[in-house]
Amino acid sequence: MTGSAAAGTTRRTASGGEAAVRVTGLRKSFPGKGGRVEALRGVDLSVPAGQIYGFLGPNGAGKTTALRILTTLLRADAGEVVVAGLDVGSHPAAVRRRIGYVGQRGGADIEATGRENLVLQGRLYGMGRHETERRADELIERLDLAPFCERIARTYSGGQRRRLEVALGIVHRPDVLFLDEPTLGLDPQNRANLWDQLRRLRDAGTTVLLTTHYLDEADRLSDRVAIIDHGLVVAEGTPEELRGRYPAAVTITPRPGFADLAAVAALLGREPLVREARIDGETIRVDLDSATTGMAAIFALLRARGVEVQGVSLREPSLDDVFLHETGRSLRDAGAPPAMEAIAS
Amino acid sequence: MTFLLQTALLARRRILETLRQPIWVFMGMSVPLMYLALFAPLLKPLAGGPGFPGGSVLDVFVPGILALMAFGSGMGAGWIVIGELESGVIERLRVTPASRLALVLGTVLRDVLMFVVPAVLVLVVATPFGFHPHWAGLAILLGLLALLTAACSAGSAALGITLKQIGSLAAVVTGLQLPLTLLAGVLLPLSLGPGWLQGLAHVNPMYYAVEAARDLASGTLASAAVAEGFAVMGAAALLAIWWSTHAYRRAMA
Repeated sequence: MTGSAAAGTTRRTASGGEAAVRVTGLRKSFPGKGGRVEALRGVDLSVPAGQIYGFLGPNGAGKTTALRILTTLLRADAGEVVVAGLDVGSHPAAVRRRIGYVGQRGGADIEATGRENLVLQGRLYGMGRHETERRADELIERLDLAPFCERIARTYSGGQRRRLEVALGIVHRPDVLFLDEPTLGLDPQNRANLWDQLRRLRDAGTTVLLTTHYLDEADRLSDRVAIIDHGLVVAEGTPEELRGRYPAAVTITPRPGFADLAAVAALLGREPLVREARIDGETIRVDLDSATTGMAAIFALLRARGVEVQGVSLREPSLDDVFLHETGRSLRDAGAPPAMEAIAS
Repeated sequence: MTFLLQTALLARRRILETLRQPIWVFMGMSVPLMYLALFAPLLKPLAGGPGFPGGSVLDVFVPGILALMAFGSGMGAGWIVIGELESGVIERLRVTPASRLALVLGTVLRDVLMFVVPAVLVLVVATPFGFHPHWAGLAILLGLLALLTAACSAGSAALGITLKQIGSLAAVVTGLQLPLTLLAGVLLPLSLGPGWLQGLAHVNPMYYAVEAARDLASGTLASAAVAEGFAVMGAAALLAIWWSTHAYRRAMA
């Protein structure tokens, strides 16, 4: 049960359905050992305005490459990329004014104070001196930077620096904010804090696009998810839609000595919401289309047949099941081990 | 206008960064002063001999030391750039609409300042020890050597972005440093050397800066060497700044 109810209630629909980001046929390859390595092999996707959109995939899947093309840092080999209504290839300068970017390495200037970082960033976006000062004050309050914003950023903890970096990404009130693995290396408290900040931005109308290799980040934070593997989008949708394609697994353990496992399994297999019921050692494993209504039906049947149950466990489908189904591997095992970025000081 | 403002903002950021690390300011000043105190006395017996026409040996030696300082002040830029590639600062700045040329010039201006201030100090210190200052010539000389610093700073930054690794950058810079400075005659005038050495020096851009610097320091403002010095240094600075801007535009790390 991973907070899907909470996510469901805050879901917003894009106003008028226009896309903040539209990508068609995106390709990119890099020179590598033994020929070119294809990082993106024809990515298509559409990010609705005003949502949190997650790129989920293992390290090396192509998430970061895609993000770097969307943020004007890299040029695509082929394909069309439109961000905030502008073609990234032909209008990179105009795109830069409308987007914010928080890179994996952060990018705070550690030899300057937090406030100096914010003011310089605002002024580079063409904001006036007073406007920038006001905006810096506002962000210092909103992101809780006040206790340390007059200190050199070198002295910040990992969480403090990340908050400053998010503030740097939104100084100029961008339409679309891009974040590359924003919670990598953060402790759970700072992670939850950052999630809240991103939700608040989304609620204020900013489109947030982030990459992650954390299942729960994609599932609980994102309104929509694109699962990326080997340079392709293998699945796309809301987390509920994606999870809903796969059954919940129920494991029933009858009292020891219960002899009639096969008969009960056969009966369970005939229930409408049950996809499959099979015997697994001393237990019965049932795949259910819907966990909530399906469980009730199972319990009713077990009681009617007088089956004494020692234990029942339920495993709801996760985005990992989606990944496993689409790629044949588990996300937890796929890709290289996560690079331990030295974000925390 | 935006461009000038951005350049000024980025230079200010760099200068603040330098002032917060006074150890580097101190080191920058101490090296030339050590040359003056510990090396210049060795040249004393050469006064009036070949390569040291009349006057004080310092009149020949000080312009060379200034050229060495101009070179050194610029060459550090690559190290900072690599640090900023790693910390993501360059990537962040590249996503802003800031002019790429302004990104380069911010660092170049700081490095020029970090050359000029200690250079004036060296001139002030050298004067009571027998250096004969021709202030107009020295002012032009500082302008000429500022171009050398700019070329080194932009070139070093471009190398840093291209090589991405401190080790490779250090190898290239130290590999260049010795031939460039020796073949420019910074410590002793190349007119002392054999013909082939003087011939080889003519392919070294820094040679023209040092030749022009010696003329300017002696008060000769309108000589062929001065004109050549400005032409070569101007071209080198423009080329390096163009290269560095190009590198910022394409940076990948």
